Amino acid sequence: MSIEKLCQAVENGVQDEAEQIAKDLLNQTFDAKETIDRLLATMQKVGDRFARLEIFLPEMMQAGQAMAAAMRILGPTLSQSAAAAQVAKKGKVVLGTVKGDLHEIGKNIVKLMLETTGFEVKDLGYDVDPLNFIKEAETTGADFIAASALMTTTMPHQKEIIDLLKDRGLRSKYKVVIGGAPTTQEWADKIGADLYCYDAGSAPKLMAKLLGKK
Amino acid sequence: MSTPYRLWEIQKRANDGPQCDEDDFLPKVFHPKLQQVIKKYGIKYDPKTPVPADEDLADRVWHAGWELFRDVGLYNTDTHRMIRLSDAEIKEALYMHSGQYWVGAGKDAVLWKHRQVEDRKTPFCLFSPDCTCSEELHYSMCLAYLKEPLLDGFCAPILEDTMGLKIRSASPFEIAGCTQHIYNLRLAAKQVGRPGIFFVAVGTAEHDSGQISVSNNEWGVRTTDSRIIGTLTEFKTADTLLNRIVHCAQYGCYVGNLTGPIYGGWCGGSEGVAVALVAYSLNGLCIYGAIYNQHFPFHLNWGSNTTRELLWPIAVAGQALGRNSPLLYTSNGFSNAGPMTEMVFYETACHALVSTVTSWDLWEMASARNKYRNRATPLEARIGMEVGHAVARQGMTRQEANEIALKLLAKYESRAGDAPMGKQYQECYDVATALPTQEHYDMYRRIKDELAGMGIRFPY
Repeated sequence: MSIEKLCQAVENGVQDEAEQIAKDLLNQTFDAKETIDRLLATMQKVGDRFARLEIFLPEMMQAGQAMAAAMRILGPTLSQSAAAAQVAKKGKVVLGTVKGDLHEIGKNIVKLMLETTGFEVKDLGYDVDPLNFIKEAETTGADFIAASALMTTTMPHQKEIIDLLKDRGLRSKYKVVIGGAPTTQEWADKIGADLYCYDAGSAPKLMAKLLGKK
Repeated sequence: MSTPYRLWEIQKRANDGPQCDEDDFLPKVFHPKLQQVIKKYGIKYDPKTPVPADEDLADRVWHAGWELFRDVGLYNTDTHRMIRLSDAEIKEALYMHSGQYWVGAGKDAVLWKHRQVEDRKTPFCLFSPDCTCSEELHYSMCLAYLKEPLLDGFCAPILEDTMGLKIRSASPFEIAGCTQHIYNLRLAAKQVGRPGIFFVAVGTAEHDSGQISVSNNEWGVRTTDSRIIGTLTEFKTADTLLNRIVHCAQYGCYVGNLTGPIYGGWCGGSEGVAVALVAYSLNGLCIYGAIYNQHFPFHLNWGSNTTRELLWPIAVAGQALGRNSPLLYTSNGFSNAGPMTEMVFYETACHALVSTVTSWDLWEMASARNKYRNRATPLEARIGMEVGHAVARQGMTRQEANEIALKLLAKYESRAGDAPMGKQYQECYDVATALPTQEHYDMYRRIKDELAGMGIRFPY
């Protein structure tokens, strides 16, 4: 079994096959850095195809699950390698949909895009109290607080997160990222967010850039 | 409400229906079933024909949607249970829907009736900007829309601020904003001489408390008006939404079920969106007790529904519902372009044309994808409604509609991703008189004449 076949199974979103190939790989000598690089490249390819809607969300999710399954098996071995240290996490993200808002499809897509491109994500779900974003960021040592809002009347909760950070003297500690259908760059500027993501596809690159990483 | 006789039997299923982890519902319950029915019924998208005239396809989409709704049901995120109905209960609800309802009051009341495919009966015209607006413009925008001749009902823009303060959902500010919203609306309707016109209100209420606070037959939302209650995408609900169903049933106002299946999301492609539209309509009827469904399928990346991958499911689902049910359903346009651009007029005309000929009533127009404050005007909605009236009256066929739709798509489809945002309301309307500027009106008139040249026979 080869890394190439593993990447193909991930791209096709076949979780069982990805798991089996990963188990077989463990019995062989394989290059940890190459494995990580190629799996990330595969997910980038899948993400690009999804961004162009050549494939749809279910296929993207299946690929992400296959990737996660393979990493669960290979992870312990990979993390012991020197290569893993070179592919450090791009950043820790506390992610959620703001209080009063029950919509989470967009947020879930962002989560998947981030996780499959090297970010570590703590998903708080939807209807998340502003203070909970901050408490979770403090607990996990996050780099980012990412808040999604789909309704105009829930957008103020994005501002509340920033206001609370300021009041607690924590504003400079976290990069606050906002997104969601009714949000705009103008709104992000108005409330003092560090980053506005127009869509899920743009999030990984923009967030990595904000931390000065590729 | 269309199913009050089952209100509590259905609500109870939110407590004791089959349980499911929320993370599993879409990938393990909804999506596999949708894929199965698309395959079973041989549903295939044809991008070359945005308005197919294939009645067998329409009937297969109807059956697929029925099966999807029956077997998946509606997931309650608060109880982690699925509300499901039997075939017999769905049939009963369809039988009990009268196919027509009087909405609005007094001289402004309108009999809203089910339409057939290629029906000569003109569509019910619900005007709505679907966007938020500045507090100081809200009353003027209400006036401007209520001045529209073809308006049968109105859903006003959403307030973002009240008394200069930002409205935050579920807070006291939301209740204040909802009160301001309905007072502006009532005053505007009275001033233009349409005091009993049908309202879908109030859009400012995101939370159930805001919605319930304005139920009042003297000054608020009347029992001759409607509330719109959303279904969470895809096929999910929550107690805050179910609360509104019970309130509306007990208060006695009409309910519309708001749904937005996403092209590229869990519905997959055009086929899945078409099937979901049918299933959502049955959900609205059976679980929400809605007398009508308000559908806005949209593109995951663009947030619009005027390109062919969305027009096709609108056309097919409309035919499925028109041929197989007595239901009422509005087609809610979402354009890429904003006000006072030629593109928004072409997009709205195309959306209204396709929808009307395939049996829909009209809900126009969320300009610039309803993303930006103040970025909608009545004039783009007017052209859509005028197209709807014209093509119904002339008895336009699906084949004729398809030909015109292809011509219109050629004018704007390639610019969907980077469409012009256009102007804000106050830049192309006189705020004091609530009338379009001459420049804006001239653009509308020029496009209307161009549409007439394509074969749309406007009565005036």
